[in-house]
Amino acid sequence: MQAHLSFDQGPPISAPLRFFITAPLFAMCAGCLLLWAGPDLFASRWTPAALALTHLITVGFMMQVMLGAMQQLLPVMAGANIRRPLLVATVVHAAITLGGVLLVLAFLTSRPLLFGCAVACLGGGVITFVGAAVQALHGVPATSPIVRGMRLGLLGLCVTVSFGLLNAVSVGWSLGLPLEQLVNVHLGWGFAAWGGAMLGAVGFVAVPMFQQTPQYPGWFGRVFAALAIAMVTVWSVAELGGMERGATALAIGMVLVAASFAWMTLTVQRQSKRPTLDAVQRLWRLAMVSALLACALWLLTRMSGTVAQWQSWPLLFGALLLFGGFMSVIVGMLYKIVPFLVWLHLQNLGHGRLMAPNVKKVLDERHINGQMRAHFVAVALLLLAVLWPRGFVYPAGLALIAANAWLLRNLLTAVAVYRTHLAKIAALDTPAG
Amino acid sequence: MDHALANLVIDAREMEPPEPFVATMDALDAMDPSHKLLLIINREPHPLYRALQKQGYAYQAELTADYTFEILIWRKQP
Repeated sequence: MQAHLSFDQGPPISAPLRFFITAPLFAMCAGCLLLWAGPDLFASRWTPAALALTHLITVGFMMQVMLGAMQQLLPVMAGANIRRPLLVATVVHAAITLGGVLLVLAFLTSRPLLFGCAVACLGGGVITFVGAAVQALHGVPATSPIVRGMRLGLLGLCVTVSFGLLNAVSVGWSLGLPLEQLVNVHLGWGFAAWGGAMLGAVGFVAVPMFQQTPQYPGWFGRVFAALAIAMVTVWSVAELGGMERGATALAIGMVLVAASFAWMTLTVQRQSKRPTLDAVQRLWRLAMVSALLACALWLLTRMSGTVAQWQSWPLLFGALLLFGGFMSVIVGMLYKIVPFLVWLHLQNLGHGRLMAPNVKKVLDERHINGQMRAHFVAVALLLLAVLWPRGFVYPAGLALIAANAWLLRNLLTAVAVYRTHLAKIAALDTPAG
Repeated sequence: MDHALANLVIDAREMEPPEPFVATMDALDAMDPSHKLLLIINREPHPLYRALQKQGYAYQAELTADYTFEILIWRKQP
């Protein structure tokens, strides 16, 4: 039937897809960087190559997918439509893609001009997106955790990027600002406020919806994002004000709040009604275990002087969170969002005359599972590369390239399904003869 | 929401997107125009609201204490 399945719906499919397809390209560049820089990349978190690698993943992969996904999640999950979505997508995508490339080149060459250009592009792109999203969310009642979480996540993104821009300007022009504290605040806001609040917002809806788990406890959904933002705000003041003891106590609180989300997610996942785990559940599970390990490692550094003095702990912490945590969740979400988008737009364009393909048939499960395994191998090799750079940096680089080339192939397969079906719809509109 | 108001109930709390949307629209297609459908779902279905408005249906949504949405849907009188 489905004759009625046609409705005005958010942005055109090309608006979010361009972000999703760009993300694995940045991750493949990260793999190439590992091959080019070799074991020296892991000498410390401050090496130019380590900083470039971090931002290839945070700006190039995470930010691309999160901004692209928000374009579609805002209308579908919050009922908030961005005005002129294609124009916003074009401007934001171009700005953050160019900004990401320039920032990586700036880290690798230490040229102030490149830092300046990167700051302008990334700042412009994020301001444009946040402005459009705030306008879309204006007047939308915050009845669900996702609306509250998205608002707070946007605030987290703004502060993260602002401190990042300040750091870039400070490094580029040697302004003599307290760089270590500013970088810590940039990281704290990035991990806890932007990543944590946004992940929480999506997780509270997406985990029960896609993994057939019970709902998260209501109180947890209501307080998680607000608590994360409140703690990171007070901690930032203490950190920048030089209140060492207060900052440490608040940082422990932030880590425990982040860990509580991972623990709660694993708890509801254990109660899933699915008889077998699918790729998305496995990816989320890896992400939550990685996040818990990262939190445990961070707490260990506060309890043990030996661990705190270990040069590689910040790199292991970062690899666990970025590759094991955020990247795993994002890959899993892409496998739910992209087939749904293809179905949604084809159903809308078909006007009931031609059924859209079943959402589960848009991507072959064998390719999803294969790419998931390639991602797991890449994460394992990246963690080993942090511990034993000489033995594992090259396999890790190759594995990261392979896993993301496979992800790109899977996403392009979904695009091909969309185009093939679109051609069938167009043929219906063409008069015979 | 009084469930007795509905002639048909779809409990979509364990359905994955887009199953609730498809099941609801298919049921509305097949339903007598004078009947009412109750959809129970644990998220707010914004795309469904737009589709209903566009296609001449009225609805009344209620949020319960356990964050479940109960949405009563019927065809508007011409």
